[in-house]
Amino acid sequence: MVNADLLKGVEPSAAEQVLALGKRMLLTAGAQLFHLGDEAESIYLVTRGRLRLTLPMQVCDREEDVLVEEACCGQAVGWSALIPPHRFTLTAAAPLETELIALPREALNRHFAEHPETGQRVAWNLSAIIGERLQLFQAMWLREIQRMVELRCA
Amino acid sequence: MEMLLMGACLSVFGLAVACLAFGAAARGADETVSAAPALPNEAVMAAASPSRFFVGQPALPAAARNRVPIEALLLQLESHVRLEQAAAQSFLESPNSSLLHSRTISPLVN
Repeated sequence: MVNADLLKGVEPSAAEQVLALGKRMLLTAGAQLFHLGDEAESIYLVTRGRLRLTLPMQVCDREEDVLVEEACCGQAVGWSALIPPHRFTLTAAAPLETELIALPREALNRHFAEHPETGQRVAWNLSAIIGERLQLFQAMWLREIQRMVELRCA
Repeated sequence: MEMLLMGACLSVFGLAVACLAFGAAARGADETVSAAPALPNEAVMAAASPSRFFVGQPALPAAARNRVPIEALLLQLESHVRLEQAAAQSFLESPNSSLLHSRTISPLVN
């Protein structure tokens, strides 16, 4: 887990210290980790299995959770815990048995105050993760807009 | 002999009348369809479809005929999201216009 995307470039010993702040969790298949709008207290690292991140959508007059992205081993989920207003903007559930490490915000903040170098590296990694997602969804959104324009011009 | 000829003439005349009546009926149905483009699909189909003896074609509501099972639709949505993410990912790896607007094989939009 020291190679997780959130801990990239962090010294292995420092990464171990960060991971030691966390609590291991096991989700059974179908279990929900957090729900859209919940207060985000912890950020999660997937150590085994997979998480489905969904948003509600009206499908045939029924509200359904539609897949937005998936997170697998080594990926961080729930960065709303570190970004105000600390509310989850997606719902996360495990499609299969999944192991995670939950890193509480309070513990991370205290640790980073004592170890600013680690804090800075983690902050860089976090901004890289957020930036990548932003670019990905920007491209996806533009593709949809392009299709709408093509339909209008057809 | 005269009776036979008269019978033949009457038969030909009857056949001609039947042909004219059939032609008029068929043309009337076509005109009904083309003159009412605003009718919903099922109404047009019901008007155009030939009815059987005593029983017309069963009129299914359009929603029932066009309905995709919700599970199938959700699978299509999921597949669409994965394909779009893959397309966006390849654009991010090598940003250019043709990759950004590459065609998708997603059944949701095709």
